[in-house]
Amino acid sequence: MRPLPLWLKSGRVQTGLVIIFILGICAIFAPYLAPNDPNEQNLLAILTPPAWADGGDLMFPLGTDSLGRCVLSRLIFGARVALTVAFTASVGAMIIGATLAHIAGYFGGWIDWLIGRVVEIWLSFPPVILSLILMVGLGTGLRNVVVAIILVDWTRFCRVLRSEVIVLRRRDYVSAAQLVGFSHWRTITREILPGTLPLLITLMSLEMGVAVIVEAILSFVGMSVGSETPAWGQMIADARQNIYEAPFNLIAPILAIFFAVFGFNILGDGLRRTLDTRLTQTERT
Amino acid sequence: MRMFATIAKLLVKRVLTAIPILLVVSALLFCILRILPVDPAAMSLPPNATVQEIEAMRSEMGLDRPLYEQYGIWLNQLLHGNIGRSIHFRQDVTALIGNTLPATIELAVIAMMVATVFGIAGGLFLFYVRGTRMEAVMDFFSILLLSLPEFLWSLFLLLVFGVFFEVLPFTGRLSPGFERPVVTGFLLLDSLITGNISSLINALQHMILPCLALGIALSPSLMRVLRSSLLDAYQDDYIHQARLRGLSEKRILVRHGLKNAILPTLSLMGVQFGFLFGGTLLVEIIYSYPGMGNLMVDAIRNADLPIIQGAGLTYCIAVLVISIVVDSLYLILNPKLRVR
Repeated sequence: MRPLPLWLKSGRVQTGLVIIFILGICAIFAPYLAPNDPNEQNLLAILTPPAWADGGDLMFPLGTDSLGRCVLSRLIFGARVALTVAFTASVGAMIIGATLAHIAGYFGGWIDWLIGRVVEIWLSFPPVILSLILMVGLGTGLRNVVVAIILVDWTRFCRVLRSEVIVLRRRDYVSAAQLVGFSHWRTITREILPGTLPLLITLMSLEMGVAVIVEAILSFVGMSVGSETPAWGQMIADARQNIYEAPFNLIAPILAIFFAVFGFNILGDGLRRTLDTRLTQTERT
Repeated sequence: MRMFATIAKLLVKRVLTAIPILLVVSALLFCILRILPVDPAAMSLPPNATVQEIEAMRSEMGLDRPLYEQYGIWLNQLLHGNIGRSIHFRQDVTALIGNTLPATIELAVIAMMVATVFGIAGGLFLFYVRGTRMEAVMDFFSILLLSLPEFLWSLFLLLVFGVFFEVLPFTGRLSPGFERPVVTGFLLLDSLITGNISSLINALQHMILPCLALGIALSPSLMRVLRSSLLDAYQDDYIHQARLRGLSEKRILVRHGLKNAILPTLSLMGVQFGFLFGGTLLVEIIYSYPGMGNLMVDAIRNADLPIIQGAGLTYCIAVLVISIVVDSLYLILNPKLRVR
């Protein structure tokens, strides 16, 4: 058997992967794991406490919300929206951000100036505000949430990767490739991209955490998926109305969001330490 | 004197670059919101208005002209301080923003102070425990903290201190029955000016939870940057020199380490404070705090375009102002950039 690659040995990476794996299982097998239909209303059993508390019902292990819907089932189904947004939005933001970063960093000149100015304009918007405004323009729905997050967060990739590309571009092997007559495309994909890849993967992992938060924020203000799809932010907004009667309904989705974001963050941190040699060197000394 | 000249130069340069940014931002805002499938003309009339009336309103509002012309009209109005009237509230947007902006600024400024205190204290602590077993624990802890955004902190603090222990108020800016002095619009300042101590204390109590939530959420990234900048600074020869001169560790840290490490932290703070200003939106909603965030979300729910445009632009201006202020501070503190 081949030994595990270095990055997989990191405890942080393992923790992150386990958390994401658990959430992934919840999302994929939600219909089999959830004890109840997440949208089924039980108006005879509204705001029941979790099963272990007084008056709890084993039918609803984590209790019910203000419409008598099963909190645990909604939590499990909510993982679907969260993970879908996390993966698709981070891939999309990565593709746009990384492409522009490589173009700007590699070619420099006016195109670098132009992309730099666009990033600057984007950064003058607080991300929450920009994504809200985009959602107003695009309308609600899962696809539009993903589009909005991509359009807001590509700058995170662009800014960081661009400076990395500029460092790599000055390396001798890049000049060598250019002298040999590699096309720009080939130089970027074969010589520069392998160098920026560790940073790119790390950023993506962190971006997934950001995407989960942004989706929760948007669905909290009712600007994300429609009300027929369970989402964690919606559950928070709903539970906030009955904060005295059923505080646990608020705690459950908060913990779910925290769990997911923590998983992506600790994975990202572990990857940063093990993959990004430049950073580990400064840390070792 | 020379420093003032450099700073003045920077300010002029930054303000001049801010103008095209604002122009593009305003154009973007205008376009994004014009794709909306709502008709502002129909919305500002009673539901029983006839098609002719709506058409008349459309041409009165300039909606029948080409987009760039509409933008020109809007921009011209904007430069005259008129962002339009709210469709829903039937009030001037400028007045609505004027009423809510001070509340948001107060919230953001105090939250920034909280974040700075926590960030610097935490960063120093993280640096202090470097190389010990505590480091791994604290490092793990800081990632835990990084995973809790301001809106989860707000809910969590509200639940603990507002609902379970009932020690702090968590809705609005003042409890009912307290007099609200109005001089500048800044509640804390106004109650101080008018000497209304009971209102001041009550308002401060209302601000504890939201400011803590924002401040705590922002501090872990500051802590981590300060720690790594301190680690970098300690690689330099002058620290070694200072040790050889027999200075105490505390003096080395404050006079040499911190003085150099604070610069990267400060430039991060500029970006972060911009984010914080946007983060107030969620915190305001959770604490029913009557600031721009609540105005913005109300406007979004009612598809109230003039407010969304006006508030969006105000947020942008706030971010630009914050970044210019931080850059000037950077210049004041960084001697390398001054001498040239």
